[in-house]
Amino acid sequence: MIHVQQLDKSFGAVHAVRNLSFDVPAGELFCFLGPNGAGKTTTIKMLTGLLRPDRGVIRIGGHDIAADPVAAKTIMGYIPDMPFLYEKLTPVEFLKFIADLYNLRDPATPRRIQESLLSFGLGEARSALIGDLSHGMRQRLLYIATFLHNPRVVFIDEPLIGLDPHSIRMIKDLLRQKVRGGMTILLTTHILALAEEIGDRIGIISNGTLIALGRMDELRRQAGVEGKLEDVFLKLTSEDTGTPTQGGARPMLSIPN
Amino acid sequence: MNNLRRLLRRESVFKVVFILAFAFGLMGGFFALFLDAFRFLSALGGASFMITRRLFSLFFLGLGVMLALSNIVTSYSTLFRSRETSFLLTSPVDIRSLVTYKYLESTLLSSWAFLFLIIPFTAAYTLHEELGLIFAFWTAAFSIPFVLLCGGLGTLIALLAVRWMPRGRLFRIGAIAAVVALTLRPLLDFRPVNLQDQPSFVLNRLLPGLQLASHPLAPNHWSAEGILLLSGGDFARGGMFWLTLVANTLVLALLIQWLGTRTFFPAWQRVAGEGGARRRPAELLGWLQPALRFLPHDIRGMILKDIRAFLRDPLQWSQALIFFGLLAIYFGSFRSFRYDALPDVWRNLIVFLNIFSVASVICSLASRFVFPQLSLEGHSFWILGLAPTGMRRILITKFLLAATAIILVSASLMGLATWMLQVGPALKAISIGLAVAISLAVSAMATGLGAIFLDLKQPNPVAIISGFGGTMNLALSLGLMLTSILPFGLLWHWHLQGRISDTVFVRGNLAAAAWLGILTLLATVIPLWLGARSLARREY
Repeated sequence: MIHVQQLDKSFGAVHAVRNLSFDVPAGELFCFLGPNGAGKTTTIKMLTGLLRPDRGVIRIGGHDIAADPVAAKTIMGYIPDMPFLYEKLTPVEFLKFIADLYNLRDPATPRRIQESLLSFGLGEARSALIGDLSHGMRQRLLYIATFLHNPRVVFIDEPLIGLDPHSIRMIKDLLRQKVRGGMTILLTTHILALAEEIGDRIGIISNGTLIALGRMDELRRQAGVEGKLEDVFLKLTSEDTGTPTQGGARPMLSIPN
Repeated sequence: MNNLRRLLRRESVFKVVFILAFAFGLMGGFFALFLDAFRFLSALGGASFMITRRLFSLFFLGLGVMLALSNIVTSYSTLFRSRETSFLLTSPVDIRSLVTYKYLESTLLSSWAFLFLIIPFTAAYTLHEELGLIFAFWTAAFSIPFVLLCGGLGTLIALLAVRWMPRGRLFRIGAIAAVVALTLRPLLDFRPVNLQDQPSFVLNRLLPGLQLASHPLAPNHWSAEGILLLSGGDFARGGMFWLTLVANTLVLALLIQWLGTRTFFPAWQRVAGEGGARRRPAELLGWLQPALRFLPHDIRGMILKDIRAFLRDPLQWSQALIFFGLLAIYFGSFRSFRYDALPDVWRNLIVFLNIFSVASVICSLASRFVFPQLSLEGHSFWILGLAPTGMRRILITKFLLAATAIILVSASLMGLATWMLQVGPALKAISIGLAVAISLAVSAMATGLGAIFLDLKQPNPVAIISGFGGTMNLALSLGLMLTSILPFGLLWHWHLQGRISDTVFVRGNLAAAAWLGILTLLATVIPLWLGARSLARREY
């Protein structure tokens, strides 16, 4: 469902993504991990068509994102880490705007919007301006908006930022349910426990290069580490960046007085 | 100075030269206009001497009122809506200093237009009245406290209104209705100018405005009189006026500090807490969605979103209201002319000057409200970037919305103006045709250039239009306006003077119409094409 082949992207002298290739089949929840600045968000932005790769091919559901962006965008959704939305609209207005953008002509759409707002705990906020909503509420609104047109592929950048424990559980259940229903999800996160818990496969990117890809047991074998994803991740990324993780002294963070 | 040096190093030489050339060109244009007006008044003789002298006071009154109105909006925005205020409130800055700083900041932001008008006006007045350079010096000395006084009034009104204005729905509707009624009040008096309607001389119509401007308690009177007295060497009386102005400005500053210390924080909390507390319908203009069902869904969605965002942004609609208020005053002033008693050549000149005025309004509207509309999508632009609709379609939607709104405004204004000036059918058709063509072209130019000079990081529309792209858009729009209107204007002027025959006149008008069509087509298609290409190439 997601096909990425020899992707390259530079910003001036900074090589953000190098020769990245992977495939994600339909109905898989793929977790894309990496240290800060590794190239995760750049990759997602290229996959969604918001950034243009310098080289390489991206196909979403068989549609080339560069050659046929409208067809690719029709079947995809994107949830960024910072929910920048139209602050002067109410949630109802925003969701109807999204329904119009995605040409949802189903007469049941207004009812679905109301039901979604209620089930995501936004029933009472339906008349508030989005600018007055909390970060978590905006994030929940974004989930409703993204799933409104029933996308076949969803990209999520840090899915749990700003959410309370109830919302976190709800989102995790929702993602699992959507994947069971055949949806393909690619998410990036720094919460390794989440990736371990819900991911079917995990890809690790460091310095713009994919350094590991596979199921949890395959990653353990590759790293030569038994244990949690955190240990596997630290081992693989420290080998790549040269940062000591075991035995060596960790740099101490301090704020000068 | 360091910031200025850094800015000059960062920006391209072309950009800096272009903006400076435009600024000086604009001031030069104003200078020529003011000088012509003074010479025209002098040529009338009689009471024109008194009018010319009092015009200075009237000019200060006009600028002062505009400055105060503008600073109400700017103070609200800088005091209550700025992120910097939230940051400063968490730092050890006392409220008194914060309010003073914000008062000065908003006055500075609001007063740049004052400079653009006062410099050419003073220069023209100095030259016409042969007053010498000292006049300019005294004007500057009076302008600073005058600007602070008028700006302070705006800040004071904003502070009081935010703290104590009732928030009930009925009150809001009533207040908006009252403002609209006051703004449109001059429209009630509109009727075609007629000799029998106004037997008195034009001065009688002008005198009330001049009397108000010359009121001894008005700061504009202190400024105007003080400048003239000091320029004439009367230091005692002139100095008294300057000290009166400065003393009143300082008292107002103290009042702002005193009131700000007591009211700012409760007012800020009121604004910060109002979002959740306010009861509003889940959908504004919900009836419009089914009414626009004939449009493709994505276009309908974008149009509705833009209308709602505009109506919910006080910074946007309040400035639009001020715009139309000034227009209403302009149209109200038509009644002051004994237009029909003037010779044909003068009447024709007034008609074309009116076409220029309405076209200038169209250019200003497009620059202020159309040019920044794409940039105002801001960080939310990714939503459009991700949607299954092309960038070209997004741009065309913005253009169609802008063009429809501006054509409606410009055609109505031109229709009203030509009706009031009792213009014949041929000139009426040309006037309205020019308004529609210029509206179409400047809407496309503002949309296209807005896409080329997209600035998604800047949330302030005024900052967006003040940049290179905004300045270039305004300059090109004014250029287009001149090249569209001048051929018709010259033909009609020469024909009335008997310099061209009827045949040449008719053929010339046909050629001018063809030229207008080609110009409009090119000025519409090229910027939109370039804008769409720029949007498609951009990364978000």
